[in-house]
Amino acid sequence: MTRLNGGLIDRTRPLNFTFNGKAYRGFEGDTLASALLANGVRLMGRSFKYHRPRGVIAAGSEEPNALVELREGARQEPNTRATVAELYEGLSARSQNHVGPLHRDLMAVNDLASPFFAAGFYYKTFMWPKAFWEKLYEPAIRKAAGLGSLSMLPDPDAYDRGFLHCDLLVIGGGAAGLSAALTAGRAGAQVVLADEDFRLGGRLLMESDLLNGAPASDWVETVRAELESLPNVRIMTRTTVFGVYDHGVFGAVERVADHLATPGDKVRQTLWRITAKRAVLAAGATERHIPFADNDRPGIMLAGALRAYANRWAALPVADAGDAVAIFTNGDDGHRTACDLLAKGAKVLGVIDTRADAVAQGDYRVFAGAQVTGSKGRLGLTQIEITQGGHSSWHAVGALGVAGGWNPNLHLTSHHRGRPHWDESLLAFVPGQGGPQGLIAAGAAAGKGGTAEALADGKRAAQAALSDLEIAAPEIMLPDAADTPSAQQAFWHVPGKKRAWVDFQNDVTVKDVKLAHQENMRPVEHLKRWTTLGMATDQGKTSNISALAVMAELTGKTIPETGTTIFRPPYTPVSLSVLGGGDTGQHFRPHRLTPTHDWAKAQGAEFVEVGQWMRAQYFPQPGETHWRQSVDREALAVRSAVGLCDVTTLGKVDVQGADAGEFLNRLYANMMGTLKVGMVRYGLMLREDGHAYDDGTCARLGEDHYVVTTTTANAGLVYRQMEFARQCLWPELDVQLISTTDAWAQIAVAGPKSRELLSRIVDGFDLSNEAFPFMACASLTICNGLRARLFRISFSGELAYEIAVPARYGHALMQRLMEQGADLGVTPYGTETLGVLRIEKGHAAGAELNGQTTAQMLGLGRMVSQKKDGIGAVMSRREGLDADRRRLVGLKSVSPQEQVAAGSHLFTEGAAQTMQTDQGWVTSSCYSPHLQGYIALAYLEDGDKRLGEIVTAANPLEGRELRAEVVSAHFVDPEGGRLRD
Amino acid sequence: MTDLLPVTAMGDSAPRSESFGPLTLSENAGLALASLALRQGQDAPTPFGLTLPDVARAVTSGELGAFWTGRGQWMIEAEGKAESDFAAALKAEAPGCSVTEQTDGFVVFEVVSEAGTAPLEALMSKLVNIDPKTLGPGCCTRTGLEHMTVFLVRRSETRLAVIGMRSLAGSLWHALSQAAHRLEY
Repeated sequence: MTRLNGGLIDRTRPLNFTFNGKAYRGFEGDTLASALLANGVRLMGRSFKYHRPRGVIAAGSEEPNALVELREGARQEPNTRATVAELYEGLSARSQNHVGPLHRDLMAVNDLASPFFAAGFYYKTFMWPKAFWEKLYEPAIRKAAGLGSLSMLPDPDAYDRGFLHCDLLVIGGGAAGLSAALTAGRAGAQVVLADEDFRLGGRLLMESDLLNGAPASDWVETVRAELESLPNVRIMTRTTVFGVYDHGVFGAVERVADHLATPGDKVRQTLWRITAKRAVLAAGATERHIPFADNDRPGIMLAGALRAYANRWAALPVADAGDAVAIFTNGDDGHRTACDLLAKGAKVLGVIDTRADAVAQGDYRVFAGAQVTGSKGRLGLTQIEITQGGHSSWHAVGALGVAGGWNPNLHLTSHHRGRPHWDESLLAFVPGQGGPQGLIAAGAAAGKGGTAEALADGKRAAQAALSDLEIAAPEIMLPDAADTPSAQQAFWHVPGKKRAWVDFQNDVTVKDVKLAHQENMRPVEHLKRWTTLGMATDQGKTSNISALAVMAELTGKTIPETGTTIFRPPYTPVSLSVLGGGDTGQHFRPHRLTPTHDWAKAQGAEFVEVGQWMRAQYFPQPGETHWRQSVDREALAVRSAVGLCDVTTLGKVDVQGADAGEFLNRLYANMMGTLKVGMVRYGLMLREDGHAYDDGTCARLGEDHYVVTTTTANAGLVYRQMEFARQCLWPELDVQLISTTDAWAQIAVAGPKSRELLSRIVDGFDLSNEAFPFMACASLTICNGLRARLFRISFSGELAYEIAVPARYGHALMQRLMEQGADLGVTPYGTETLGVLRIEKGHAAGAELNGQTTAQMLGLGRMVSQKKDGIGAVMSRREGLDADRRRLVGLKSVSPQEQVAAGSHLFTEGAAQTMQTDQGWVTSSCYSPHLQGYIALAYLEDGDKRLGEIVTAANPLEGRELRAEVVSAHFVDPEGGRLRD
Repeated sequence: MTDLLPVTAMGDSAPRSESFGPLTLSENAGLALASLALRQGQDAPTPFGLTLPDVARAVTSGELGAFWTGRGQWMIEAEGKAESDFAAALKAEAPGCSVTEQTDGFVVFEVVSEAGTAPLEALMSKLVNIDPKTLGPGCCTRTGLEHMTVFLVRRSETRLAVIGMRSLAGSLWHALSQAAHRLEY
């Protein structure tokens, strides 16, 4: 055990956990990383490419190395950073990316072959022989790639989403964030304070600085309590703001139950969309390291992290409690770590400072003007080589903290292509111009990392934001604090011949950066892609600037001249599950149910999704073992007796107004204004470009009252188009629109006995052909006074009606029709039969109105009225469209039991089958029980003049072709007598 | 009086109601709805004495109410009148206006909090991208909820009507009840 005294852990609450199957104990307040370090575990994984032993580098979300697989079974989660995994009772973690045990990884052989694996290796090596790529190289690379493994099981947990709105979003709950939140909270502004940690305080929790003469955590606790008491402030810990989007929208993930063994009734995570009028980015800063030879051994970490583990978690990353610790630094910050470690009782070898004039800040040795030039220790650090004044010596240490300066966490400021600005005095990029509007960086994120200056800067940022919003900001008293010295030298890496790691996660070394320079991959974007620097889970938080500095040195340019990296969302990894949010499975998307849905379900109907609608597809009866049996039965019943089909899904738009007729004239290709009251007309709508858009019927219920029906699929689109026309194209017309699709349950009653059946439910309404002819419509009452609408229209080609009642009565009406029609052979039918009937009749549907067809192709060219203008009318007459000679025809398979597959292409019999000789395509096909053979609808060149010809229907995808006879598209009752009887 | 028996939008014989902690969700199957749109140049009528509300506002008067749905357009509500021909009654009150029956076009879920505004606003934050502070009592809006379009009418500090398409009643209930259920944990 290397647990120190103190820290912000609750020693009264021990937590048991396992790592690689071995049991350990930590405390509440620990992360997995801190608990492992406190147990003397430094080796936590293997590196990506060379399988080098690796341990913890950092103490926060920037961690590149300590990636583990967390949890078991379906909850197994690869590549989880041990530094942010909150410890809980029973936590189970495993190291990843090794073959065999962690300490004897067989893949470590890669390290011996490292000269061959330099940057660009893949790009050059796997170019030849070309044939090897698919069968050998790609599978091998894929197998080797990646770190953790997936469970391959569905995620068992629930995820949620939500929306928040605030005046000020404060991102980060450290010194600057807390003073900003306090300032805005006391001003009465709506504030959201988000922090990725499970505890507010940020670096204040990790430093030994005093605020008002007391531990900083005391002040943090006071502020937290005050903020919690304010109704206008929402504190969100365990919440990472990962991206800035347009219009002041921020994406954030709240890890609601990641700190629990299982979420229980909670959701695992929530994706929040936060709309903020202003935001303060107080995300702190990330320390960078100084690459030197063999700088990647477990036990070598960032000095600030070393300090954090000691101060907050009372853990020292050494194998044995008595092991010495050393600090390698280029500035004052390293000395701060040495002082803190001494104060915690650690044995400090000394501080190796690259500055010749460095002096000790406490009781420890200073190696001034020195560098760490090497390290030893197979699975963890045991020795470092210190070179000072040309002399090198080896020293036994258990841990080394490396302090190379701090990079402001300005990521979110560059999400709108804001370019960071190089600050030579800070030796760091700071937020520049052009970032997201209303986002103000503060504290360490703005390069003001001293405790006192961060506190003051947070207040300043909040006051600026409130001033913008014209909210009066009160002066708040900030605690007494001091800024520790932060002078540093521009020292970026230790020169040498051995490998010195820049990017630990991607195994990118100084040598690789040099190779990129040699290969002329010098712009930062090329450097990144050539070396893979800055990719994967950490996105180069600890490595980008170091690599840039090395490249600058090689090119002889300054760092800002060499370039900078800007950042995209997400700031830290976001799971796909939480991005999906909401439901999976049955409730993945909303379903629209017809008024007769429950009735159909009770009849055993099979359903099919049609857009959002669930429609009855067919109604299997006992003894039917194949859907075709059900559909054939249903189709024959409609043609011989009467069938019922719920057609509520067709769009219905109520059109009223003095100019309703004129509006419809302009909307439809054909004349609609002349329609008589009480009649229905088939209508065709064109797109602006002249292609057929949608078809349906239009009923005139009164002088200035129409009901337009649309296809199910286009109901929303057509309504939108109509609103656009009303509001934007012809605002001068007096027209009012509203959808009534859901308001009316509409049932098609089709077949020669439909009149007989309807006569049994209408309240004395005259259904005779004379009184209510084909294409008539009327309002009436049925079943003793229920308001209804009746339309004599037919999609099947039979004598047919559609009857509409208020939707709440749809279920009962269907039951009543079934009861009343029992002796007539009434049969419910679904969408499959609907399709068969309309193909037999030659009626177009979605397959024929696929956006590529014209009125002429449909055989409806004459419907495009010459007497008036309408949407698409002029464009439908343009050359090219007008000249299209393909026409809708019917096809009958020469061998009746062979199906003409929809999608087949048509060719003149015997002709070569090429794009040039293609004569059209099959749009719909079905088995016609009426004709006892397969039939189809198709578009065919000059189809209307080729009736009787045999053509070839080719289906090259399945290697099939067959002969089909071109016939009229109207297989049933071409004269239409049945409709009108 | 017809002898056909109606069912609710949820497909039941009686309206659905369920409580989740301080929140109760209830299907309001008795609410009659009819849309009213002004013809060109027409002044807003005062049907049943209602002063039709301004943009994004809702009014109530006894059993009657109205909420704004668009320029020159309102939805008129009548509690307990779903079985009547409310559109015809409204048409008589607003001659010359375009009136359309909408009772069965929608499902109405009333969400009531017994513990002040916080639970109601917490529920809203999980469902709609609307700032609850801008949807105070007497306000209404139309927005998206789990890929569905809904009207929200804030009837009081502690009561919100969520009015969605009738055919989506099951999905809307699922979204509302699941979100309310999750607030309990």
